[in-house]
Parts: sequence; C-alpha cells; structure tokens
Amino acid sequence: MLVAWRYRKRENSFIQSFDPRAWVIFYGCFLFATLSFWDVRFLLPFFVIAVFVLLTSGVKWHEMRRAFLFILGFVFFFAILTFLTGRGGTEVYKQEHLIREFRASFSILGWTPALKITVERAFFAVSQLVRVFSIAVMTILIPYSLDPALYGITFKGIGLPDKFAYAMDLTMRFIPTFGRDFQLTMDAQRARGYELDKISGGIIQQVRKLGPIFVPVTIHAIIASEDIIDAMDLRAFGIGPRTWLDVLTYQTRDRILIAFGVLILAASLVVGIMGYGSFWVPESLMKMF
Amino acid sequence: MTPFPLVVDNLSFRYRDRQGAAIHNISFEAKPGEVLLIAGASGCGKTTLIRCINGLIPRSYKGDMSGEVLVFGGNVKSWKLSQISQKVGTVLQDPERQILGTKVLNEAAFGLENLGMAREEIFQRVDEALNFLKITHLRNRETFSLSGGEKQKVALAGVLAMRPSILLLDEPLASLDPASAQDTLDAVRMLADQGLSVLLVEHRVEDVLRINPERVMFMSEGQVRYLGDAAGLSKVVDYREVKLPAEQIVERAKLDPPPVAIQILPGATKSASKDDALVTFQDVAFGYESEREVLHGINLTINRGDVIAVLGPNGAGKTTFVKHAIGLLKPKSGSVIVDGRDTREASVAEIASMLGYVFQSPSHMLFAPTVHDELAFGPTNMKHAKDQIELEVKEALKMVNLSEKENDPPLALSFGQQKRVSIAAILAMRSRILVMDEPTAGQDYQNYMNFMDAILQMPAFEAILFITHDVDLAAIYANRVLIVNDGRLVADGTPQETLHDFDRLKANRLVPTSLLAMNLKRFNETGRFMRAEALAHI
Repeated sequence: MLVAWRYRKRENSFIQSFDPRAWVIFYGCFLFATLSFWDVRFLLPFFVIAVFVLLTSGVKWHEMRRAFLFILGFVFFFAILTFLTGRGGTEVYKQEHLIREFRASFSILGWTPALKITVERAFFAVSQLVRVFSIAVMTILIPYSLDPALYGITFKGIGLPDKFAYAMDLTMRFIPTFGRDFQLTMDAQRARGYELDKISGGIIQQVRKLGPIFVPVTIHAIIASEDIIDAMDLRAFGIGPRTWLDVLTYQTRDRILIAFGVLILAASLVVGIMGYGSFWVPESLMKMF
Repeated sequence: MTPFPLVVDNLSFRYRDRQGAAIHNISFEAKPGEVLLIAGASGCGKTTLIRCINGLIPRSYKGDMSGEVLVFGGNVKSWKLSQISQKVGTVLQDPERQILGTKVLNEAAFGLENLGMAREEIFQRVDEALNFLKITHLRNRETFSLSGGEKQKVALAGVLAMRPSILLLDEPLASLDPASAQDTLDAVRMLADQGLSVLLVEHRVEDVLRINPERVMFMSEGQVRYLGDAAGLSKVVDYREVKLPAEQIVERAKLDPPPVAIQILPGATKSASKDDALVTFQDVAFGYESEREVLHGINLTINRGDVIAVLGPNGAGKTTFVKHAIGLLKPKSGSVIVDGRDTREASVAEIASMLGYVFQSPSHMLFAPTVHDELAFGPTNMKHAKDQIELEVKEALKMVNLSEKENDPPLALSFGQQKRVSIAAILAMRSRILVMDEPTAGQDYQNYMNFMDAILQMPAFEAILFITHDVDLAAIYANRVLIVNDGRLVADGTPQETLHDFDRLKANRLVPTSLLAMNLKRFNETGRFMRAEALAHI
C-alpha cells in the first residue's frame, strides 16, 4: 500500500482551499448535473467551471502531462469515432441533415464504404467532447488535490459507515499499488520476449494471450489483500465504532461550495424536467442543408 | 496464576487444505524481558506458530488445532482478536504490506482508532511509541517516502502504541539493507530490555545473535529441535542449515571433510576472447521524472566471466541500474550497449536472447498451468523451433533439479521451487548473461546456498550479475563487487578491493560480517574470499 497518488500540498490551489468533503459533494453534484445535458449551450458553463478549476488547481503541466494526454486522447478518440460512425448519437436525434457524403470508389461484397457528414453528427461529437472533457478534468484533478491521508475521514464525513469509509480509502489507495504491480509484471514478461503490441488473432485468442499479465497481477493482488486483511485484523479493525484521528471542520466557503453544487444539480434536474437541455442543433444550420 | 506472559502447551495445528500437521506438540513459555529467536528452514512451521499465538489461527486460517496458547494465564482460544491484539503485537515480514496509514501518525494510531479510544489518549500513546523508538522526527512524514528501516520501525510503532506485553516479529529483516536490519534489531533489544517478551522469527541468525537473544528455538518439520541459550545452538544444528558466526562454523567444519570446490561459470572460460565486453554502460543517467535524476553518470563494462554482486542501501538505484541492461529502462543520457547494440535501438525481446533478467518475486511472472508451459513461454516468444523448445525446457528443468515437477502448476510449488522455476524460465531462453534481483530474498540459508551453488556452476552463462543485501553472498560468490548508492557507482572492484574498507561499507549502509572480517584477516594466506567451511581447512 505504499505507492502514492501524486498529491502534494499546493499553495494558492483553489480546489485545495476547500474541505475535501465539500469538494467531493460538489464534484458529485457537478458530475450528475453535467450528465443530465446533451445541449452544448447548457454544457458550456460546466466546461468553463472545469477549465477554471484546472487552471487554478496549482497542478503543474509536467506533473499531470501523461495522465492528461491519456485522457484527452481517449476523449478525442471516442468523439471522432462517434462522428465517423454516427453510433451513440442516434439515441438522441432522429433525423440527420447531410452536409456531405464521401463514397469509396470500390465495393466489398456489394457494400460500398461511405462516410456521411451530417449536422447532427458534427454537433453530437462536439457536445460529447465538451461533456466528457468537463467530467474528465474534474475527475483527474482529485488524486492530485485531495490528501490521501484524509480519504477515510472524507468518506466518513459524507455519511458512509466506518467500514465502508475505510474500504473506500483503501480502494483508492490500492489503485496506484495495483498500477505498480501491473508494471512489474509487464516488465517481467517483456524480459521473456512478450510483446503486448504484437498480440494478434481473434478476440478469444487475444484475451488468452493477455494471461501472462493478468494471472500474475491477479494472484499478487489476492496475496497482497490477504496480508492487508491480516494486518487490519491484528490491529482490531472493525470491532466497533472507530475514532478518526483527523478532524475536518467546515468553513463558510465550504458551505457556499456545497450550496452552489446542490443548486447546480437542482437547477439542472428542474431544467431537464421542463424539457430543456436535450440534444440541440442550431435551427439555422439545419435549414442550410 | 502463571508467572509467564506466554505459555504454549502441546500445540499442534494442521491447515484444512493441507496434509500433515504444520506444527506438532510445541511447548514453551516466554519470559518478560527476553528475546526468543525462532529459527529454522522455510516451511518448518515458524509462521504457523506465530499465527496460533496472535489468533489468526483459527480465526483467519482454518484447520485442526490442539493444545493451548495461554496469555497471562488466559486461553486465547476464547478471546476476541481485538482482545488478543492488545496483549500480543505482531509485526509481519513485509512492512510495505503491513503499513496501512498514509502518514506515520495515522499508521501508528490505526489500532487505537479501531479500539475507539479518545483522541487525546491516541495522540499521547502514539507520541510515546514514536519517542521510544526515537522516530519522533518521522511523525508527519508520508509512509511511502520512508526508507526500509524506517518503515519497519513505523510498523513497530503501530503495534507498540497498543501497549502489548508480547511482541511477535515474523522475519522483520527480510527486505532490509544491513544497516536498517541492525537499527531494527537494536530497537527490538531495547523493547525486551523494557520488559516485553519478544519472539523473533528470523533466517538471519547471525545478525540476531549480535543482540544477544536470551534463548534460541530451532524448529524443523513442525517440531522444536532445540530450545536453549544461543551458545548451545551451534552444537546441535548443522552449520549448513543455519547461518552461524564464521568462527563457530570454522570450529565445527574442521571436524568434517573439506567442502567440494565449485567451478564458477564453466561456460565462460571456454571462450577464446576472454575479455570481450558483453554489456557496456557509457555515462548513463536516468530519472523517472524529468526534474529528478536517480542514476548519475554510470560507467561500467560487464565482461565474459564476470560474477558481479551489486550492493547498496534500499532505494539506492540498484534495480533501476540493472533494468537498463535489458532495455526495460532507456537512459536519459549516455548509452547502454548490449552485445554491440544500443538498447535504444533494440526491443526488450531482442535483448532478452542475450540477457536474462530474473525478477525478485517469482509471483510477478508465473502464470502458466504447468511448469513446462511456463518454461516454454520465453523461447516461444522468441520464435524458437518447436523441437528446440522441448529440448531447452528439458535441459533447463534438469539444471534447476525440477524435472519431476514438469507437469505441476508453478503457482502450487513452494517459494524456493518457484524461484528455481523463474530461473529455469530464463535458462530455457538460452540467454548468455543472467541478471538476478535479490535471488536469495525469502529463502532460508541452506536453500539459498544450494541455489547459488547450482546457478554459478551452470554452463549456460557467460556472466552473472546479482543484486543483494547479503555482504557474505557477495564476498564468497562474486569475483567483482559494485556498490551503488544514491544513483552513483561508489565502488567497483574485486571483493577484497571493495569490501576491505569498513568505513566505506558503513557509509553505504553495509555492515561487515564475521566471515568478511575472517576472510580479510586471512587474505594473504588464501588470496581470495572463501566460505567459512573452506577456511576451516586452510
């Protein structure tokens, strides 16, 4: 359990100026509020909040570069995939206005590959990008900004029972340990000529070929959790209500943040119930095609 | 009422899923203020005994138990684990897996928080424990940033804060560099002197004898073979089973025939060009993060015939350095040349045919349903022909003496056997250089000496490099010793050249041993470092 997230105390960090409970509650409200919209006009304020939090987080670019690029790559990949295939979007729009269609000059078994660019697909991709980017930014900042020593008391503070709060604490801290074990196994197998990027074959065959990574990582995780359970049992964990050494105290700004979060969520739900916020494409754009 | 804090009476236990009892009819008592060293080969029942005393057996590990464990006269069988934990404190082998708190303060307070104590009392007890172990300065440090010895002391503080009367330590030195091990042992002595009964399970018997344990128990096949003072131990146990001080081994070994000399790297001497460089490090620097360099300007050549031991404290950069040789890490500046190729231009798989790397823990690599498949994995990845793979697997199994286990699942084997499978997996790839990260960690003395003898006599390798914390292992098996500290190569030379300066050893958290001292004393006579059994006949 001794691998750390990249948390450190950062002076002048907006996110770190709040009680972690207040931030977790605000984050939860932000998450559900964002998820309730597909309309890019409604999503933009969330995007602005996310960018503001990112820029005031105090996390340096070189610290988060790898994680950030990974998430951005992921977000862009799926947005482009949706744009190209139209999949996913058809659940929120019924009609499409064609801007242009590209058809291949060849056919495969009577099927001619074609790429349709429509107003709806383009707007859906933009909405998806804004939506997922806002959530991803807010999520990625948590391990950099919340003190791991306070995970347990934070979860306890938002109402979880002792055992659940500590389990959440351990789970969050287990992720980087798991990552380290994964890397060690990966290195050990690469040293035996195993190359993950050269795995080929059908789906089942490919999954089977991941065995050299997943079997040792799983076995290691099981052994490690047995040791953790022993260590906890031997120090009387779970015998009754526990004392939490760290104490968190709400300040006025924390209450304001929670109120703001709850307000955003409530407003979003109301707006949704009133029929606003679903997928939107400018009327003028539709008329053009 | 019994005067002893702990009485174990006729205790036997058999795990539910295993045949045969793990421990048989064990009886002893522990006195206040004594250190009782418990030694014995892997699998002799030491950990089972500890689990019976701390209550994990039968609560977490099920099976058939008979006999009694009495703590201050009370039978722990009827106690809750929380009750036992306030009388009996346990420090497990690997502090990495025992430490649960992110900060030292939280870690030391964990047990007290679970008991629901008032915060003021928790702070008072934690400070008391930290102060006692002289680690108050670590109070607000993050546990992941601690050194190996500091982690072990913090784990100890977490147990001591619960004010136990009996302290159980299960191989607390296994992952520590020599100086950290000595620090931990000094703390243990201090605790016993304050009145605690300490049961210390440890393979590193010679190290523990330095703190003068009041009694020693030697276990074999689940039974007590010796229980008495430390002086008597050397008279009853085989000096090949337990690592005793060199003087005691010499005294005993004089009566036996001289040991058979081993021929080191028989494959390397066959080469016509003996001085060929196999691996070259040219001014290598590396950092995991751009702003922090962990390896600085490493220059080194591994030649055919080299048996290199890499020594250095925990976190010195030894593993980072060695990972460059196989290309798992690429230098930020400088270059690593393996068999004439820059590691930046070759894949790890390509380098693996030249240089085989055995990781510290076999559980990080074993995955296949049978030992045969495990061994065939590397050669298959390297596209060896099917017939050739069969031959390579058979030969590798023979070399590590595991031919009869070919169809067994590797994960069901003992730790020592798993370690041998991990070596055989590299052997089957026909790599010419063997690199091992702490090959003896977690193995008992007799096992690891046999293991090292076997590895060094294998004809397949042209050079061997191993990372170790064991100064004696470096002294007797290597013909070249490197000391790495703070990412720098501090020393590189023959064992005599690198290990004769005790001040330098101390500065690099290494502790001179009785065998090293004896070898240095008799170097003019012998001309090389030898094991104590051999010195007995010179």
